[in-house]
Formats: sequence, C-alpha cells, structure tokens
Amino acid sequence: MNATLKIDAVSKRFGGITALDGVSFEVAHGELLGLIGPNGAGKSVLVNVVSGFYPATAGAITFDGRAMTHLPTHQFGRSGIARTFQNIRLFRRMSVLENVLVAFPEHVRSPFLSLLRSRRGAEIDRAMALLARMRLADKADLSAASLPYGEARRLEIARALATNPKLLLLDEPAAGMNDRETEELREDIAGLRADLDAIVLIEHNVEFLRGLADRLVVLDYGRKIAEGLPDDVLREPRVVEAYLGADDE
Amino acid sequence: MMQDYLFFAGINILLAWSVYIILMSGSLSFANGGFMAVGAYASGLMTTRYGWDLWLAIPASAALAGLFGALISLPALRTRGVYLILVTIGVSFCMVVAIESTELLGGVQGLGGLVGTEPWHVGALVLAVGACLWLVSYTPLQRILDAVREDEHVAGALGVNATYVKVVTFGVGAALAAAAGALYGHYLIFIRPEHFNIMISLFMVLYVILGGVNNLWGAALGAALMTLVPEFIRVLAEWRPTVFGVLIVLLLLVRPEGILAFRTVTARAGKRIRKEGAP
Ligand SMILES: Nc1ncnc2c1ncn2[C@@H]1O[C@H](COP(=O)(O)OP(=O)(O)OP(=O)(O)O)[C@@H](O)[C@H]1O
Ligand SMILES: [Mg+2]
Repeated sequence: MNATLKIDAVSKRFGGITALDGVSFEVAHGELLGLIGPNGAGKSVLVNVVSGFYPATAGAITFDGRAMTHLPTHQFGRSGIARTFQNIRLFRRMSVLENVLVAFPEHVRSPFLSLLRSRRGAEIDRAMALLARMRLADKADLSAASLPYGEARRLEIARALATNPKLLLLDEPAAGMNDRETEELREDIAGLRADLDAIVLIEHNVEFLRGLADRLVVLDYGRKIAEGLPDDVLREPRVVEAYLGADDE
Repeated sequence: MMQDYLFFAGINILLAWSVYIILMSGSLSFANGGFMAVGAYASGLMTTRYGWDLWLAIPASAALAGLFGALISLPALRTRGVYLILVTIGVSFCMVVAIESTELLGGVQGLGGLVGTEPWHVGALVLAVGACLWLVSYTPLQRILDAVREDEHVAGALGVNATYVKVVTFGVGAALAAAAGALYGHYLIFIRPEHFNIMISLFMVLYVILGGVNNLWGAALGAALMTLVPEFIRVLAEWRPTVFGVLIVLLLLVRPEGILAFRTVTARAGKRIRKEGAP
C-alpha cells in the first residue's frame, strides 16, 4: 500500500490509563478512512497523537515519509496535517472570517513577516471561497461564538482547510447536527476528497460512514480490533460485540 | 508643572503599552519595571560614563533589554498562568537588588547626571508606538497573536510556533519598557533603584487592566487617567494607592475586561458576502 500516514505500534498512557495500546495502521493516498469504536475507545486520543497534540508514549508516526513522532505540534500543522475538535475549539473572540484568515500557512509560518507581505483583498476572497464551500459565506462577519453547533463544526473544517492540508482529521464532525445537516455535511466531506490527499473521519454513526469511507479501523479499549472494507468490518463478531456492549448514541 | 504631568503620563502610556504588547500573546508580565531599569541604567552608563549620544544610547539599551526580556521569557514561558506571574515578579525584585549591590550603577545611592530628554520626545514616541500598534491591529500578525492568546494549542495545531511568538513579544515589550525607562532616567537626572521597584511594575499592569486588555486604547486610557486624575484632584494624590485599589476592585466587578473592552476586528467581508451568493 502506498501510504501517506503510517501509525506504527503507537501507545499513549495517562498515568495509569492506557488510552492507546500498540495501535498500528496506515492511511493510503486518496483514502477516506473511517475510525470507529465505542465511547472511550481512544479515537480522540489517536487524533491528538497524530496531530501532535499529545506526544506518543511509544511507537512511531510517519507522515509523507517524515518521522513525526517527536516533533512539536506546530511542525505537524506545517507538514500538512489539519484537524477539527470533538469539543469545538474555535477562536470564539474572533469573527467567522477571521477564524479562517488566521490559518493561512504563509502567515502562520512567519507571523512577523506578515506585516510586510499581506495581500488583504486576495486573502479575504480566498477565505470567503472556503467559507462558501462550508456554506458559511453569509455568516462571515458574525462572531464565531454566535454560531450554533452545526455551523461551528463546519467553521472548524473551513479553518482546517485554510492551512492547505494534505491530511484532514475530523473528530465526530456530525455530532449535534440534525438529519438534514448531517446529510449536507456528508456531501460536503465527499466533495473535499478531490482536494485532499487523505481524510480520517471519526464517527459513531456507522450509517454515516457506509458508502463514504473506503475502509474502517475499529478501536476498542485502546486496541485495534478490526480493519478493512466497511461491510466486512461491520459484520465481524468482535465489532458487533464491542458495539452491542456499549450501545449508545 | 503641566509639562511634568504630561511627561509622566506619556511615560506611563509607553509602559502600559509595554505590558499590553506582552499580553497580546497571552502573558502577563510583572517584570517590566525591571526592563525599564535596564533601559534607564544602561543608557545612563552609556551617556554619562562612556560619552555616548543619547539617541544612540536609547536604542542600544532598548535592544539590550529586548534581548534580556526574550532570554528571561524562554524559561519563564514554560511555566503557566500564575507561575509565570510569580517568575516575572521575581525578576522585578532581583533587578532592584542587583542594582543596589552594583557599584558601577551607583548602588543604593543612585546614578546621576542623566540629561537630555524633553517632554516632546516622549510625546513623539507615544505617537509612533501608538501608530504602530494601530496599524498592526488590522494585520495577520494581530490575528495570530489573538489566536495564541486565546488558545495556543489550537494555534499550534494550525502551525503557529507559539513559543517563538511569545518570546518575540516579550522581547519587544521589554525593549519598549526600556526605551521609556531611558527617556524617564534622562529627564529625572538622578535615578535610584527604588524608581523601578515592584510597585512600578504593578502599576503598569493595573493601567492596562483598568483601561482595557483587548486593545491599544485601553492601556493608554488607563495610564493617562491614573497619572493625570490624581494630579488634578490633590486629595486623590495622597490616597492614590487606595483610590487605585478601590477603583480596580469596582471595575473588575462591573467591567472585568476594563473600561474599553472591545476587540478590534482585523478584517471584514462586508460587501463580499452577497457576491459569494449566500443561500
Ligand atoms: N488528557 C487525558 N488525560 C487522561 N485521560 C485521558 C485524556 N484524554 C483521554 N483520556 C482517556 O483515554 C480514554 C480514551 O478517550 P478518547 O477521548 O480517545 O475516547 P473516544 O474514543 O474519543 O470516545 P468518544 O467516542 O466518547 O469521544 C478514555 O478513558 C479517556 O478518559
Ligand atoms: Mg472522542
């Protein structure tokens, strides 16, 4: 497999809790990988480790051939890994438009040089195009704090896209959305595939992933218990059991 | 006398901005009285002992203090919140003690012969620094500072090197405090360690908190008010610390973000919203 992201025997412990226990899998170029598992399985921790938020306790992460494991968070962002947050973390004091503008890579890399080479009009146009894609163009001048759940999650995606990423990690992007919003989001995520090298999508609702994800990885108690094509994986007894054991949402 | 008041108001506005600049990336510094001392003493030595021109000594001492501030912030920024505040308070104390015990700097007796500052010099620097801060408040830099201040981890995930940003703002804030200190010293003629004690650092922070922590106007307003009002109402002068204390408590209850609490929006979509064909 021609992988963009390689996760090799990654473990993450918090004191006595083992949140990830030797997880390994790869994400191929062009792939949309669904990451599922019951509550507390370690999905969000995995996203945090892959985005450089938490250092791995053991194991290795390779992205586009680069060893990422011990790099500081900002190097993950600059390498082309972008993410959203399960507990939305927008810059609430800024406007919707500013939340996108702030992420443009040329300024993020050299914030002090931005004084010399900002092209304001063009940048606003670029940000508006991203907002339009996420159906937020009419909200551009509102405060980010004023957005309802669904739109806040979409804005997090727009902000992540503004970093011009290769890999996008989405942590339960449909949480808190109604059926119509969820369906729109599904279409929009499908539409992003052309511009991204790969997407990793965490979602509780397996119906959301069916027909969207190329493959699924299933975590339970910090371990990978299954991996493969969605229809195969969802039939596996261990997966059914893990889901029945923690039947929620 | 009027000139004196305006001079001190100007100095205090510069000092309040030196605190505000560091606060722009999210750190509260109680070390700026120390940076101010570096500026006053360094430029004092350069001019009185080594015969430098004041207009060379001021930028040189500001650069020195900037470097010093950046260096201090490196270990200090590893500590967070209250601990960072304690570290900067420590720096302020150490600075005074260090000056007191250094003969070259005149020790407790102080250092004399500093001349050359005119009140309009301070006015010019206030205008220049204010203009810079105002211009910056519409740039990508302002947004990145705001991001680091609000959530440095998310800023990091976007690719911002938050440590670097904070170290630089610390250095710039320290340099400005030093420039103000140099102008101040060369107006006073005679400087002593107690001119730069922890109370001075504390007052600078209070100007900003009182005036408003989110924009450049708040810091300037807080400094101007707290310098000038007591001078015109003599009763207040004696009670300055008390009035100040009561005001701060009242204000934090009523307006926790200061008198001028607004944040300047760095960019607007405006007319573009309709062009994009919103639903
Ligand atoms: N910062 C942390 N400190 C300590 N324990 C943590 C931390 N983050 C996560 N954990 C623990 O790690 C385990 C996995 O959590 P994680 O958030 O990854 O679950 P999840 O699969 O995302 O679940 P959910 O579907 O509820 O979001 C949990 O037991 C959680 O309590
Ligand atoms: Mg989670």
